[in-house]
Amino acid sequence: MLRNKVTGIAEAISHVESGMSVAIGGFLTQGDPLTLIRALRASEVTDLTIYSCTGGFKNRGVVELVILGKVRKLVCSHVGTTPDVVKAYHAGDLDLQLVPQGTLAEQLRAGGAGLGGFLTPTGVGTVVENDKQVLEVEGKLYLLEHSIRADVALVRAHDGDSWGNLRYRGTAGNYNAVCATCADFTIAEVEFLYNPGEISPESVHTPGIYVDSVVRADLTYCSELLAPC
Amino acid sequence: MSNIKSVIAARAGAEVKNGQVVNLGIGLPTLVAEHLPPGIDVVIHSENGAIGVGPKPAPYCEDVDRANAGGEPVTVGPGGSYFDSATSFSMIRGGHVDITFLGTFQVDGDGNIASYEIPGRLLAGMGGAMDLLAGAKTVYILTEHCSKEGKTKLVKECTYPLTGAQECDVIITERALFRRSPNGFVLEELAYGYSLEDIASATDMAYVISDALRVDAFGGSEPRK
Repeated sequence: MLRNKVTGIAEAISHVESGMSVAIGGFLTQGDPLTLIRALRASEVTDLTIYSCTGGFKNRGVVELVILGKVRKLVCSHVGTTPDVVKAYHAGDLDLQLVPQGTLAEQLRAGGAGLGGFLTPTGVGTVVENDKQVLEVEGKLYLLEHSIRADVALVRAHDGDSWGNLRYRGTAGNYNAVCATCADFTIAEVEFLYNPGEISPESVHTPGIYVDSVVRADLTYCSELLAPC
Repeated sequence: MSNIKSVIAARAGAEVKNGQVVNLGIGLPTLVAEHLPPGIDVVIHSENGAIGVGPKPAPYCEDVDRANAGGEPVTVGPGGSYFDSATSFSMIRGGHVDITFLGTFQVDGDGNIASYEIPGRLLAGMGGAMDLLAGAKTVYILTEHCSKEGKTKLVKECTYPLTGAQECDVIITERALFRRSPNGFVLEELAYGYSLEDIASATDMAYVISDALRVDAFGGSEPRK
């Protein structure tokens, strides 16, 4: 019989300890696991290393943790929509590492896939090349990028079942799918929760073996994004 | 000035051919979606995980799970698909995107592009731009010819951190269209109301003038003030 992985939010987020590395899904406002991020925000946890696609959007998302000084290092591809992340970086309060979006996604995927690294042409001839091995294969230059694993992953899915099978909706999948695979402990917040068997096997995006804990997402966070009628 | 952006976007849209997969960067390039040639098979790829991006949704019909790379609500049309970021960038790096339209802070005569940081002033981060420059078959830079301060963006040599080295194939501004050749950029078209002198006085990057230069090739029909 499949284990029921659904817990309360406090119990799920207690798996994040100070000093840990956390991979967090979402792209700007789409698919960011805001329920888990805000639970982390309310906790005492600090000194985190965060891997995410962006800093969030304006004052929503990973930036909420940065503003509170809970983040020692942020590894992401884009901070243009989160001026507070840039401010923290310029103030010396945040170690910021910018990585090309495709490279970071592939680093997390490789980490979850047991690979040591991979070769990518992205960033050759730019500052991204610094301190990295540049290899030539069949006449083309590539950077050797290492894989990334995290202690905990926080992801958001549109729906899932109590065993952790997850399905994403629209463009809200983005980094969630790779984050779910790369961590020792994956927590998924789902907007709609099913029992095993109610989601067809063909439609599963992230198989439940990757997921350790399931919580119900706070649905009111979506309405923040919609213009009032 | 929105008219300048439309002029650039319209000329860019006219470049797209039947059957091509197109990626639109945030900002000015998103306007290209409104100027794609009608009646041909073109799909828009969005780096955050969609193929088949369509027009803006009707008022109050925005969907929080359907947005473009800038976070703006979009629709996804018939035949479209959704996928995750690893897949999206596999498509980009794997040569499955024919054209990428991007903005920039600087572009130079070697095709170097600097679009994600102005040291001491602005830090946005490269996002998906570096992958797009490395993977897309043809790279178009769409930009106003000069910055708000009146400085040319077509510089002799990029001084800001590079997004890509020697990756730019075509530059389209409100004044001109340049296309890269083995000998550097070739000025192929002047927009309506602009002369060779208007280009020379506002361009520091090296270029040659095409033997088949087209004058008044695109842009508005009103005389430029």
